[in-house]
Amino acid sequence: MSQSTVSVKTYAFTLIGLLALTLLTSLLALVDLGNFSFIAGVAIAAVKASLIACFFMHALYEMKLIRVIMAGGMIWFLIMISLTLGDYLTRGWMPYPGK
Amino acid sequence: MADPIALALREQFHSAEQQRETSTVGMWIFLITEVMLFGGLFTAFSVYRMSHPAAFDQGSADMEFWMGAVNTAVLICSSFCMAMAVHSAEKGKNGRLAFFLILTILIGLVFLGIKFTEYYLHYHDQKLPGIVFHDTSPDAAYVQMFFVFYFLMTGLHAFHMIIGEGILGAMLFRTLLGSFSERYHTPVELAGLYWHFVDTVWVFLFAIFYIPGAHMK
Amino acid sequence: MATVTLIEPQSAPAQPRLNYLTEKTGLMSWLFTTDHKRIGLLYVFSITFFFFFGGFFALLMRLHLLLPQGWLFGHETYNKLFTMHGIIMVWFFLIPSIPNTLGNFVLPMMIGAKDLAFPKLNLLSWYIFMLGGMTTLYALVRGGVDTGWTFYTPFSTSYSTSFVITAAVGILIAGFSSILTGLNFIATVHRMRAPGLTWFRLPIFIWSTYATSLILVLATPVLAITLAMIGIERIFQVGIFDPALGGDPVLFQHMFWFYSHPAVYIMVLPAMAVVSEIIPTFSRKPIFGYKAVAFSSMAIAILGFLVWGHHMFVAGESAYAAMTFSFLSYMVAIPSAIKVFNWTATMYRGSVQLDTPMLYAIGFVALFTIGGMTGLFLAALGIDVHVTDTYFVIAHFHYIMVGGTVMAFLGGVHYWWPKISGKMYPEFLAKLSALTVFLGFNLTFFPQFILGYMGMPRRYAAYPPEFQVLNVLSTAGASILGVGYVVPLIYLMWAWKYGESAPDNPWRTTGLEWKTPSPPPKHNFEETPVVTWKAYDFEAQKEELHLG
Repeated sequence: MSQSTVSVKTYAFTLIGLLALTLLTSLLALVDLGNFSFIAGVAIAAVKASLIACFFMHALYEMKLIRVIMAGGMIWFLIMISLTLGDYLTRGWMPYPGK
Repeated sequence: MADPIALALREQFHSAEQQRETSTVGMWIFLITEVMLFGGLFTAFSVYRMSHPAAFDQGSADMEFWMGAVNTAVLICSSFCMAMAVHSAEKGKNGRLAFFLILTILIGLVFLGIKFTEYYLHYHDQKLPGIVFHDTSPDAAYVQMFFVFYFLMTGLHAFHMIIGEGILGAMLFRTLLGSFSERYHTPVELAGLYWHFVDTVWVFLFAIFYIPGAHMK
Repeated sequence: MATVTLIEPQSAPAQPRLNYLTEKTGLMSWLFTTDHKRIGLLYVFSITFFFFFGGFFALLMRLHLLLPQGWLFGHETYNKLFTMHGIIMVWFFLIPSIPNTLGNFVLPMMIGAKDLAFPKLNLLSWYIFMLGGMTTLYALVRGGVDTGWTFYTPFSTSYSTSFVITAAVGILIAGFSSILTGLNFIATVHRMRAPGLTWFRLPIFIWSTYATSLILVLATPVLAITLAMIGIERIFQVGIFDPALGGDPVLFQHMFWFYSHPAVYIMVLPAMAVVSEIIPTFSRKPIFGYKAVAFSSMAIAILGFLVWGHHMFVAGESAYAAMTFSFLSYMVAIPSAIKVFNWTATMYRGSVQLDTPMLYAIGFVALFTIGGMTGLFLAALGIDVHVTDTYFVIAHFHYIMVGGTVMAFLGGVHYWWPKISGKMYPEFLAKLSALTVFLGFNLTFFPQFILGYMGMPRRYAAYPPEFQVLNVLSTAGASILGVGYVVPLIYLMWAWKYGESAPDNPWRTTGLEWKTPSPPPKHNFEETPVVTWKAYDFEAQKEELHLG
């Protein structure tokens, strides 16, 4: 399955892509984008992470189960963070103190 | 010479393919537990960042931004070398495998060196919560909290790096003993998965700690 | 159609066939074993030890509460008693109870595998568990912990003077044991099934244990990091959860319950797994609605992650979050009810035999239903505000965990005892103690529903005199329950040595684990079975099982 399915060329392009994105995110960081700079940073990080997962970690070339496991982990992390943040975001929405 | 694959096939498995797949599945499940482990910290960090954005940006401005950026590039290069190591293992080229493993280990050490230099600089600036922390801004409590999370998360990451260096060392040792071949190199692959995962975590750490306040310097 | 690659009867063996117990002997052969069956037994011994430890604390508390002002302990000691009772029972008995003992023992056999996917990891998991247990016991010996098993901040980080960090480290270590077991089970179920054993031919036990393993793997790391944060806040006195330092204690509750609510399903899903095996066997019928029962296990595991906020209705979470969590909590009732209905439907018009395991299983269904229904009361925002932190909550979760999990655990131990030990237990005594447990349990915990509804708060060492009658009833029940737990311990040990030899398939049932000798050989099957039938297909195996 993973018997040399990924070529050196693919690895090299991935490396170049990752380094380019690192440069991009570093340059963006020097500009004052307000709250957007946090979001942009995390978004670029997510792209980089998927590059690493897909090519360096062979996720694209592995059996389907591996992608299910990956997706599961991501979804569970998102459940945790979104339901928790949901509580904090909606505090004070009701016109009663402490609600 | 005994067939390395026959030696490495454990009794509970029927075939080398089943063993390799099962180990890979096991490793990925382990990585998911790591996602949730770091995920807990990311969640807590996000809650506090959302509540105190200004103080957290101010904390972020105290980061050694360029050291972080360079370190990101360093770690990406080590990941590339690791991918090449796995590639060499797949081709059964043990010499190249050893070479890339050594390279990965060395670049990993460079990362840790830069990281601990940063830690020293923060200590020098009195930004080490719980030991020496000095901040005069009105938001000092939250700036301190930023640093608590910074040290917790990058510290946990560095801890994983150190473990990873150990694992790669063991892989190098086994390579030199000639344990791996074109047909059997699962441990190298699994070590690679772990190393890439740790790299991925750093990519996010760089994004949440270094970037938001970088323009304020 | 049932064709099974059966073990060829060997021509008159000169000496008794070696099994996993006799293959190697001596202490070292146990301490370094990688055999899943032996590791299962190691866990049986360890968790039995912890169970009686934790149960002893419970009995002491009940004795203390005989008198309204209490008479045995000071308030501080009482705080430590309920804390240690909770910690030991939750992390060192309930969570490992069924998966690590029965699951370890029968899971590979049920899927026709020689062992788990990672046997060494399995042994490591036991050592890690014991290390965690010993660390926690060390905390106990040094003076105990008084925060309650929930470690709520800021009390646990800033005010408690007890051994919080030691206990937290113990639990954190034990957590890694859970993770390794979950990981092992998932990989095993995915990759080690016998040829022909497709997902929809698996026994429900596998489905439920698989669902449990998912929770173990996804939730436990969050507990680990949360406890680590408590430790760091306590050691360095930096702000993470402490409001005096800018932290938010409610965030701790979020993270703690993100683990600890799914942990309830870690405890009860395996119990459902056991009951789903026992009921078809003793009704001589396939389980009613196989797919519904299988998927409801998965649904419980998934929905179980979306409801943690119902522990925080009065803790200051937003009204919108509370409403969402309340709604989602109601959703969990659906798969739970599906299971209860399907177990009942399985028994309906079956030829029900009331052997000991079946008594426990029926007891489980009854008590789980009460526990589940009162869970709906607690998911309702209005009622929850009234009964938060009262004995109503205590009674509710003991109906699930003791009435549910412990009943099923005992049922499962009796069910698989012939396979584990190769011996039969004394049936009459076993039935008697099953009834004792059922009666004692209800007498202990039913009065607590009333007490809670009347407003008696949990975790207090004293109470107003008007609550005394119900408290005395509860203590009386606890004593009966205690007897009901000690008696099986004695006769099972007796049976191990002196019991009648068990046949390979004493219950004449269908699972793969019964198609191998009792006790099984080291690699479970002498030939890997090939499965061509569905689970619980009594009709197809009629001849082979000698069913009239």
